[in-house]
Amino acid sequence: MILLRSLVSRSAPVLACLGLLAIWQVAALILNTDSFPTAIEAIRAIPSILGDKESLINILASLRRMAIGFSLAVIVSIPLGLMMGRSRVVAAFFNPLLMVTYPVPKAALMPIIMLWLGVGDIAKMLVIFLGVSLPVIYHSFQGAKAVEEKMLWSGAAMGLSTAQRMIRIVLPAALPEILTGCRTGLVLALITMVTSEMIARQSGAGNILFNSLDMGQYDTVYAMIIIIGAMGIGVDAAFEKLRSRLVKWSEPGFDIPLSFA
Amino acid sequence: MTIEDGAFVSILGPSGCGKSTLLYIVGGFVNPTEGVAKMKGKAIAGPGPDRGPVFQEFALFPWKSVLGNVMYGPRQQGVKHVEAEAQSRRLIEMVGLKGFENFFPKELSGGMKQRVALARTLAYHPAVLLMDEPFGALDAHTRTRLQNDLLNIWERDRKTVLFVTHSVDEAVFLSDKVVVMTRSPGRIKQVVDIDLPRPRRRAELLLDPRYQKYVVDIERMIDDTSEGELRP
Repeated sequence: MILLRSLVSRSAPVLACLGLLAIWQVAALILNTDSFPTAIEAIRAIPSILGDKESLINILASLRRMAIGFSLAVIVSIPLGLMMGRSRVVAAFFNPLLMVTYPVPKAALMPIIMLWLGVGDIAKMLVIFLGVSLPVIYHSFQGAKAVEEKMLWSGAAMGLSTAQRMIRIVLPAALPEILTGCRTGLVLALITMVTSEMIARQSGAGNILFNSLDMGQYDTVYAMIIIIGAMGIGVDAAFEKLRSRLVKWSEPGFDIPLSFA
Repeated sequence: MTIEDGAFVSILGPSGCGKSTLLYIVGGFVNPTEGVAKMKGKAIAGPGPDRGPVFQEFALFPWKSVLGNVMYGPRQQGVKHVEAEAQSRRLIEMVGLKGFENFFPKELSGGMKQRVALARTLAYHPAVLLMDEPFGALDAHTRTRLQNDLLNIWERDRKTVLFVTHSVDEAVFLSDKVVVMTRSPGRIKQVVDIDLPRPRRRAELLLDPRYQKYVVDIERMIDDTSEGELRP
């Protein structure tokens, strides 16, 4: 009974995906229009995309931009967020800026950025950087603010300087919250990556997607959506695995899987 | 008020009288609005390893194991890893947590956490222990056991202890001296010397009329000071 239950809960994500594909297949068969290929047709188009050198280079270029934009954003945002959380002055200065920029869709800045930096890598990485920064700054800020004062006092009594307390107490104590922000940031990186390539159509996964749309290759369009989605799931699952290992000390034991990891 | 080396002094008073604040000032965590706190003749300018706090909230480092928490202070003081580990293992055994070295704080009960916190502070050899209602968050049974254990540990090496509590029993049981404070504005109402023989055994003490008299006298003092809150 318990074995059966664990089997069901383990295979649940796969079953959910299969269910979705089945609904798609049936819906496509019923509607029967050119612009809505069946799930099987879309899946069949995947190997030809991944087998094509050109498309593969495009997809890897996308991933590279995403990785660089994400990493730079994390490197800048975590220290900034932590300082905001521990210093009223820093928070008073940056908080209004955050509140103003938070609701602005970062992709909407793309035209301006393209005017300055062209349509190349740098413009796209900058948009990804902006998209990732805000949630990471916000969560680092919240995490640092919530660090128990007495924990810092304990460190101070052991002789830790202000800077040491920041790195050796605030950072690890806020890590669970920081990583929650990073996970949101990672998904946003994927979203801004595709959007930036839709706007500045030069290379990348988003470019393939929209080019095939223009050319009416609908099975490629859907196949690309599946590929991008799978990339998202893969990156998220890998990150979640890393995250849960890093902050094992803070997790209450739970059973519901939070990702495919 | 002056506290001699090696004395166990409790600060007792109604909540909000500033007894914890007094402790934080001695710890150097909070600056006094007025007046000075001195340690060995020198004004206190900030926290330092000569004064080790133990808080009601435990304030353990949750990302560190029990051993990691206890080793943290000595490592920071530049003690070699091997030495710090051996010393910390001894301390962990002394506070009764042998076998729990690799547990994380979230896996421990409140009483166990406070034992770790005590070991962590003892590990860097502070001259003064600053205990801020350390047993306040524990159930009665655990509390009694920890009081006994603290007393045993203390009677071995007689560190100076400043102990904040609102429990009269606890203060009389543990201390050489009890400082009774008044409700806000928090002032020292009276300092009571507890002249009871050591080593103290709880079972004997509870039946000792001298102990009972101290408890009753001090309770009466506190009742006087907190009368203010009954007035409209």
